[in-house]
Amino acid sequence: MRVFTCGNSFEDKMTCIYDAWEYALLHGHNNVRLMVEPVCQYSFAEEYVHVDVDAEKTNKVVRSIINSISYEAYLNVFYSTLFYEDTLDDIYRFLIVAFKVGSGVMRMLTDKAVMRIMEYRRKVGNEIHFSHEFIRFNSIDNKVYVAHYEPKCDIIYMTAMHFADRMPSECFVIIDDNRQYAVVHPADEDMYITELTDEYMLKLKETEYVNDEYRSLWKEFFNSIGIKERENYKCQRNMFPIWMRKHAVEFLD
Amino acid sequence: MLANQNKCLYNKHMFELQASLNLQDKLHILADAAKYDVACTSSGADRRGKKGMLGNAKACGICHTFASDGRCISLLKILMTNHCIYDCRYCINRSSNDIERATFSPTEICELTIEFYKRNYIEGLFLSSGVLKNPTYTMERMCETLALLRGKYRFNGYIHIKTIPGASDELIAMAGLLADRISINMELPTEESLKSLAPNKSFSSIITPMAKVSNTIASSRMSLGKTARMERSSSNRFLSDSIFSNRDNSIEASRNEIIDGNSGHTLADSSLSVKEDAIVKGAGTLDLSVIRDTGVSQDFIDKRRFASAGQSTQMIIGASGETDYTLINTTQKLYQSFDLKRVFYSAYIPINEDSALPALGTPPPLLREHRLYQADWLLRFYGFTADELLSEDKPNFNEKLDPKCDWAVRHLDIFPIEVQTASYDLILRVPGIGPKSAMRIINARRFGKLDYESLKKMGVVLKRAHYFITCGGRMMFRIPIEEGYITRQLTDMNTKENWQVCHVSQYRQLSLFEDFGVS
Repeated sequence: MRVFTCGNSFEDKMTCIYDAWEYALLHGHNNVRLMVEPVCQYSFAEEYVHVDVDAEKTNKVVRSIINSISYEAYLNVFYSTLFYEDTLDDIYRFLIVAFKVGSGVMRMLTDKAVMRIMEYRRKVGNEIHFSHEFIRFNSIDNKVYVAHYEPKCDIIYMTAMHFADRMPSECFVIIDDNRQYAVVHPADEDMYITELTDEYMLKLKETEYVNDEYRSLWKEFFNSIGIKERENYKCQRNMFPIWMRKHAVEFLD
Repeated sequence: MLANQNKCLYNKHMFELQASLNLQDKLHILADAAKYDVACTSSGADRRGKKGMLGNAKACGICHTFASDGRCISLLKILMTNHCIYDCRYCINRSSNDIERATFSPTEICELTIEFYKRNYIEGLFLSSGVLKNPTYTMERMCETLALLRGKYRFNGYIHIKTIPGASDELIAMAGLLADRISINMELPTEESLKSLAPNKSFSSIITPMAKVSNTIASSRMSLGKTARMERSSSNRFLSDSIFSNRDNSIEASRNEIIDGNSGHTLADSSLSVKEDAIVKGAGTLDLSVIRDTGVSQDFIDKRRFASAGQSTQMIIGASGETDYTLINTTQKLYQSFDLKRVFYSAYIPINEDSALPALGTPPPLLREHRLYQADWLLRFYGFTADELLSEDKPNFNEKLDPKCDWAVRHLDIFPIEVQTASYDLILRVPGIGPKSAMRIINARRFGKLDYESLKKMGVVLKRAHYFITCGGRMMFRIPIEEGYITRQLTDMNTKENWQVCHVSQYRQLSLFEDFGVS
């Protein structure tokens, strides 16, 4: 058994799939396993190969998924790479089925590999939707709007795309506190993603506590709009789980 | 105000001291007054953002938070004013109530909307209002607000506006052009109850504008190359006899009935009847060309569809004596004839002491409201019709069983069905299977054999569905197909849920830490 390992970016993962596939053509798909680094526990029986990112191989993989399977399948693969657990081997198993079947593959929900990919996509898609709902911007001097959040999946760019469409002429920054990434969107310009150092993170933490007059107005509205006779905190927690409320202004004191 | 002086009662709070109220107080009063309005959806309109403007709209709708009553907060739901010259008995803002009153200026509403929107607190504005001075004056102020928001503040997000009964056609036309959804509250489903509970409103002052708006939406859609009817859930395409698909037959039938001199047809409940198609036909459309000088660029107005997210309405449940059958029938007619996008129900909460209404302290009929919403979904997504769910003999929903299960146990002759071969509309009728999982079943079975494990993964709720399906010729468990047995099993399962809906927040678990001070 040969294990192909790679870094965590989309390009790394696609290159890894290319190399593993190339090896599997000679030795069989069952003798290949894919893993995202870091590898915590090595096994004596397996041979580990690190794969370096290669733009050309990435393009080849993406192109053949889109052309030989379907664009929908590509989207599913892309969303699965954003999932917070290691999904690389599952993607590989899915692709084995998908290249055999072709464009109808997403309908084959009785197949375990396909079902797994559909579940990843659903989970990532749901979290993206939650991020549209629940992230909150804080205004710094009415110039820049800053949002902090801690998504499980690596969805910061997908979140930012929604807000770039919504507020094209505003400056805003969205920060993933756990991964220490930020998407910066200058007014009327293209946005970009940037990694943050610890020093920057500490500074940016303060933006969350800037006193913004509309925060208290929003809390006032939030508290007035609930009907006392229908109080139902259980339903509220079902719809807006407590772990998602970390940065929601109306639940902070 | 002078014109209506003899109609209404005024009290000392009607004339507020504007100076003493700051924005926060006003927001408190006017959000509190708006909380009984139910519709807070931001779905139905889909448009992208534009450079230099603020906002876009997503067809799926986005909820931004959930209030203490578990209802979603999607829009900034406020009244422009809670002053009202009307004295509707069920309403908190009626003129004879002694409550704090306030009025927002158009600028205040715009500022709040824009600033909340930029912070991602809300998806847009929901603007309703009490009647200040007279309907025309109130509606003018509301339109002024919307024009300011769309024009000066360049807001491109979602706006839902409630029209005031009695407002002129031009104002409704303008409201519809500037907003995404427009709604006229029906409040009560029959003419009698409207007369007794809302003496200042008349049935025709609600139905006629509703018909006009409906026609205008249709003509505006057609002028932009779309179908006249609103888009519905895609599952309706595959259903042969849903309330949206047999539209032509029903028009034909009702026309014939009108031609036949209404032979044998009685307007027993005086709710909407077959004549509503005639009402819609006779109402004509609103003249959209009159909209000029709004402060919004003409180009913007020209490109907009009239009320792109359609029209909706709401009805109060439990304030008057209607049966569920009347309500659900009215709902169906509103969908079919007026092409409403949604009908909302609001469980009446006794807030006013009044001999014609339930006494103060009566718990709101939440379970009934829940059942009505379940039935509403069955109409719009599952291809059911009102007559299948209820009848004259059985006019109310079963409290213990949801409408779909209730229908299924009454039709055990067609169950169990084989999921490998059954048609889409039949699969959709199984309790525990929705449009999504039904479509997944249809797709998956073309490629391989289904089993209960994979059904579960596809999202089928087997604890309800297993009584009604076979998979590969087998039921999941050995059970008798017997009405009494299945009903007992299903109600037993739902007891806890139903009890919770009925007894929201009346009882709670004692806690050592909070109640006995143990630390």
